[in-house]
Amino acid sequence: MELVSIVGVTPQANEAAAAASGRTRAIGAIMIGIGVFTGLVFAMGVSSAAHSGLTFNPVNLSNAPWHVSDLTVATRWVNAVIALLMVALGLEVIIRSPRRAVMVRFGVVAVLFLFALLFWVVRTPGPSPVPVINFTAVLIGSSEVAMVLIFGALSGVMCERSGVVNIAIEGQFIGGAFIGTMLASTTHSFIFAALGGAVIGGLLGLLLAFLSLRYLSDQIIVGVVLVTMIGSFSSYLNLQVFTPFPQFNTGTLAPNLAIPLISKIPIIGPVFFDQSGFFYFMLILVGAVSFALFKTRYGLHVRAVGEHPRAAATVGINVVRVRYINVVLGGAIAGVGGVAFMASQGQFQPGYTSGLGYIALAAMIFGRWRPSGAVVASVLFGLSVYLSQNLQTYNVPVSTYILNMFPYIITIAVVSGLIGRVRAPAADGIPYHRE
Amino acid sequence: MSDTPRRAVTLRHRFSSTSPIVIAFIALVLGLVLGALIIIFTTPVVLNAWRDIFHSWGSPWHAVKVTADNVGAAYRAMFTGSIIDPPGLWHSITTGKGWDATMTPLSETLTYATPLIIASMGVGIAFQTGIFNIGANGQAVLGGIAGAAVGSMLHMPTIIHIPLTLLAGLAGGVIAGAIPGLLKAYTGAHEVIVTIMLNYVVYAFLLFVVLSTPLQQPGQQNDISRMMDPSSQLAPIFGVASGLRVSYGIFVAAAVVVFAWWFLDRSSLGFDFRVTGANPTAARASGINSRAIMVLVFLISGGLAGLAGIVQAASTTHFIDGGFLIGNAGIGFTAITVALLGRNRPMGIVWASLLFAALGVGGRSMQASTGIPLDLATIIQSAVVLFVATPVLVKEIFRLRTSPTATVQLATKGWNS
Repeated sequence: MELVSIVGVTPQANEAAAAASGRTRAIGAIMIGIGVFTGLVFAMGVSSAAHSGLTFNPVNLSNAPWHVSDLTVATRWVNAVIALLMVALGLEVIIRSPRRAVMVRFGVVAVLFLFALLFWVVRTPGPSPVPVINFTAVLIGSSEVAMVLIFGALSGVMCERSGVVNIAIEGQFIGGAFIGTMLASTTHSFIFAALGGAVIGGLLGLLLAFLSLRYLSDQIIVGVVLVTMIGSFSSYLNLQVFTPFPQFNTGTLAPNLAIPLISKIPIIGPVFFDQSGFFYFMLILVGAVSFALFKTRYGLHVRAVGEHPRAAATVGINVVRVRYINVVLGGAIAGVGGVAFMASQGQFQPGYTSGLGYIALAAMIFGRWRPSGAVVASVLFGLSVYLSQNLQTYNVPVSTYILNMFPYIITIAVVSGLIGRVRAPAADGIPYHRE
Repeated sequence: MSDTPRRAVTLRHRFSSTSPIVIAFIALVLGLVLGALIIIFTTPVVLNAWRDIFHSWGSPWHAVKVTADNVGAAYRAMFTGSIIDPPGLWHSITTGKGWDATMTPLSETLTYATPLIIASMGVGIAFQTGIFNIGANGQAVLGGIAGAAVGSMLHMPTIIHIPLTLLAGLAGGVIAGAIPGLLKAYTGAHEVIVTIMLNYVVYAFLLFVVLSTPLQQPGQQNDISRMMDPSSQLAPIFGVASGLRVSYGIFVAAAVVVFAWWFLDRSSLGFDFRVTGANPTAARASGINSRAIMVLVFLISGGLAGLAGIVQAASTTHFIDGGFLIGNAGIGFTAITVALLGRNRPMGIVWASLLFAALGVGGRSMQASTGIPLDLATIIQSAVVLFVATPVLVKEIFRLRTSPTATVQLATKGWNS
């Protein structure tokens, strides 16, 4: 230790720093590449007469006290600005080689790319049947996906901070969505649905905790097998219950609860203050999890257990109990996330979460195992998932299936650019033996 | 790594209460019990019979009988649909006729097991190296796409066409496997997330390919590919007329099993793989290039998955469609559970594949005759694996003697590995 502090950096640290800056430069170069492509195709590739419309009034908001007039912009110049912004961000990453948030900049570039694509397809004269982008509607739609991802990522934070890898988030989503549609259809109450989802998610968490804490099974394998099991079970029940009794799966959407006055603010109002109860609950939950993990004594215990369980046990923390509590709570959060997904997407269908649980897991890693980071990551992923699924309405000349790959490819890019630089809780995924 | 204990000892060990075979058997029984419970709780007739005991003083025996009938019918259909139908067998033995019909269930099970063995061998080799390849399904799909393209769009004599088609499948899988391998080796991206995401990418690509490329069947609007040339198909061994679908693909599977055995137990590269899986630090210290191993294991694992994909297409449907291998029943996902059940060893995987193939094929026959969804088979399969993955649980349930040397075997090691 003495020697290290005298020398300053160990050789390994030096090497790691060199590798890290090489990686950073590569990411910066990719960002510049995307910027140049955008500039050439989406900006210079359109005629200077082409225009794109932007509208800000959400479709569902009637008699709003405000009206933001539509904006018509020259497609070429807007996209040129976006392309320059991307190149600037890339150059900044290469030159300054910032230590933090490189991948956030990368995510911003990815989302900017989607917006440039959007501007490009809605241009007139152009291929799109709709010559305008409803900016507010895009934000609302993305916020629904982001909300579900945040639930999942928070679940991951809860579990992994205590040292258990919860790869079964996808399964908890499916379970929550299933029970959610059943309870919402029969009781017409989304509170019951949310409670049911929390119970199912918590039970799945309990099963994961039981197998991995008591029997020291491999957490990743148990998680993956649980997802397969829940996936087939939901598909089984879908055929056995929902097909003969469609009244159990009516797929009612959760009503929006507009907050008086502030929901009338242009653009921000409909996105943040005219949402379903799940959205507000998610906002509270982010604060609650963040506070619980980083400001309370219990949170300190959790993080100690996730980093060095043996040391935690030495000072009298019950490692196994802390892990049980966190995995069950995390499962419950993901279960509610599944209900929230159902409440914004409608009728349950087998496989309709399409890997969102795994994207949430990636969002958690992207967010460096912190609730706040998970929110940023989920917003970026949410935008890319929503846009890639909805670009088809604009007749993009690229196959919808290619567009649908986008969020997954971004996830891979983010995860590859990231791990090695972020550090998971040290004991994450490693079973704990009581001596 | 000398693996030659005396025979008597092995035999006794095999059937002792702590042996993996006994655990696997108990796990299977527990899985079937779980499946029976699910049937009971989701079949209205059975539930009504039990409710009648309290509602209208129905006889408990009646309820038990209804339960046994329903569960029995489901499992009987599963057995007769995947292994043998005893009356049919008796008929064939006594009259010497109808052998084709009698052997159909077994042939179907073998047909289903063939690609499963190949894919599971790939997943198993990865597990032995400490790598969790959840991407086998995506790799199999890409292999299927590549193989179907070569099989349907190139025309040549059988003798070259079949090997070329299989090679194309292998190459498709290798490409899909190279991505997570290279990313893990050079950026540290965890293979679990990368492979899961790649699965979705490949599914989207599959739809793209069968809907908007020349591979789509000409004149079709649906998501269906061209038919593979007869010269590229794996023909049924007993001829098309017999109706038995079991194909020459079975020899491909046998070759893969031999290869996997030789590779893991006899080759020096395989030794390096296993050392890396057992103790990555020791492997690195002894001069094994862990990056190269990581890439290679994904190339092999992905290649085998791709080969499985094309064997599946070339021996059954002879085309691919938008639903090729998609969903929880995709062979790439079943392969994970098979590899775990077979403890990642070649012969274990063969037996596990046959078992899970029987469950899958039997599930289809159960769905056809009783209306109970096929998904039940997948539920049973995953339950079996959960029980096998937690052997201590099984031992506790049945109060078996726990072996004092039982250690925790981790296939994966969290995000920091």
